[in-house]
Order: sequence, then C-alpha cells, then structure tokens
Amino acid sequence: MLVLLFILFGGLAIGCAINVVAQRNPLYCAISLIGVFMSLACLYLMLAAPFIAAVQVIVYAGAIMVLVVFVIMLLNVEQEERRKIRMGFLLPAAIALAAALIAEVTFILASVDSEPLQVSDLGLTRSIGPALFTQYLLPFEITSILLLMAIVGAMTLARRTRELSTGARVIPGAQVLALSEIDPTTSHEEPGTIESHTTSEAAQVLGITDLRNQTRRE
Amino acid sequence: MEPRLSWYLALSALLFTIGVVGVIIKRNVIAMFMCIELMLNAVNLTFVAFASFFQDVTGQLFVFIVMTVAAAEAAVGLGIIIAMFRNRESLDVDDASILKL
Repeated sequence: MLVLLFILFGGLAIGCAINVVAQRNPLYCAISLIGVFMSLACLYLMLAAPFIAAVQVIVYAGAIMVLVVFVIMLLNVEQEERRKIRMGFLLPAAIALAAALIAEVTFILASVDSEPLQVSDLGLTRSIGPALFTQYLLPFEITSILLLMAIVGAMTLARRTRELSTGARVIPGAQVLALSEIDPTTSHEEPGTIESHTTSEAAQVLGITDLRNQTRRE
Repeated sequence: MEPRLSWYLALSALLFTIGVVGVIIKRNVIAMFMCIELMLNAVNLTFVAFASFFQDVTGQLFVFIVMTVAAAEAAVGLGIIIAMFRNRESLDVDDASILKL
C-alpha cells in the first residue's frame, strides 16, 4: 500500500518536475511546480512529518508561488522561442553519462537496504516546537533577521528609483544643496551651494519664482 | 514491503538533477528561479527522509529554516527580476550579460 502511494506521488513529482523544465510558458511552469510541491507534501506525510507537510503547502504552494505567479502576471511574460541546439555532438555523451548514473542509482536501490520507517511522534508540532525554541533558538532568531533584511532588500530593489520627483525639487530641512541641483538653468561648473530650511526660502535665496512649473531636469 | 530510505534519496536526486538541467537550459529568469526552488525542495526531501528514518528532529528543523531562506530568496529574487525587466524590457538572461542592473 505504502509502496503504491510512494510510486504515485513520486511519479507525480517527477512528471511535474519534467514539465516545469519542458514548458515554454512560465505560467504553466509555475502550475507544474505547484504540483511538485503538493506531491512532496504528500511524501512528507508518508514520512510521518505532518508539520513540515503543512508548512510546505502553506509557505511554498501558498505564499511563494502566489508571489511568482503575481510577478509573471505583472511582467507580461512572453513564451520562449525555440532555438536550435548548439553543440549537438555532445548529445550522445550526455545520454551515455545519464545511463551510467541511472545504472548506479538502480544498483544502490537494489543493494543498499535500511531499516523500515518506525512509528513515532517525531514530526508533530509538539516535538518540533521544544527543539526549535530551546536548542535551536539562535538559528531561529537569525532567520527572523534574514527575513527583515529580505523585506528591506525587496522594497529597495523593486522601488522605482528616481533622483527627485517633480513635486519635491528642494527637500525642506537643514540641507546644503548644490545650486545646479535646485536651478537647472545654472551651469554645473558653478561651485556655489546654498543652505536652506524650507523650499520657499531656498527659492527666495536663488531668486526662483516658479519652482513647481519648471520642466523636470532630465 | 515498505518504501526504504534509498528510494527517497533516489527520488530526491532525480528531482535535483531535473532542477539543475532546468537552470542550465532555461533562458527565462523566472523559469530559472522556479528550477532553483525545485532544487531546494529536492534537498528538503532528503532532510525529511533522513530525519524520519534516523529518528532525529534536527532534519525537520533544517527544512523549516531552508523554507524561510527560500521565502527570503523569493522576495529578493523577484525584486531583482522586476528591476531587471524595468530596465531592459526583457526577461532573457542573455540580455543581462553585463554586471549592471
């Protein structure tokens, strides 16, 4: 019975994984990848790890893949076009090496044998929690810092980077700005800087009357 | 007959190999990203299999942390992909061959 389940979910995982590589449309890749994640979650259940199986479904199939699908939708990804295979003479060598690898794996499967899985409450949340919050507390906290860094990094990377928006030519506050930064008509060689506390004050010093309606500096 | 440890290891090796092949032959950045996720999952399967067969909870904690790292990687990686698409109007890795976003 368990062997049948293993063959079913393992075959499903391998089939979906091959489909991830073979598909040309990234959205179909993503859906196949969700299939891989779900069948792996079923395998985790067979390995008596229900907590990891639940986290697999929630975090991977839920959060990460939703993010990927969002990005695919957002970016209007087109299909990959076919391209002719370069270095086709290496194909027989690759097939031979793959056959050798499969033969090795089959040999290992046939010769090495381990103990069958014992029944235990190892994978339950009740046994994972104490280990996570006592012995492995430091890695857990470091992981939280990693997530914080990832949030900041993702926001910094995905933000539209413009030097100054049209509405904020001079930022209020005690800032020293280059003259060319405020008045685009002045030449860049001019070394003058001004100190201002508000936008209107800076405009007064510079003698600029209409800050807002100036064309944006390119 | 029940599934043995070596079966799970062989399955995990196969999934990892498929992921490596995908990273090599794919040219779309998002597809390459998904193949990396596939490789991470193959490694997770090894961890869980060893943890269950050797009766040690450490492997499952490793999987927990690997998943967190994968989530962080997804956020940062997709941010990089969006920035790259914004600057190049393309997701082909061959278009991003210079080290400049």
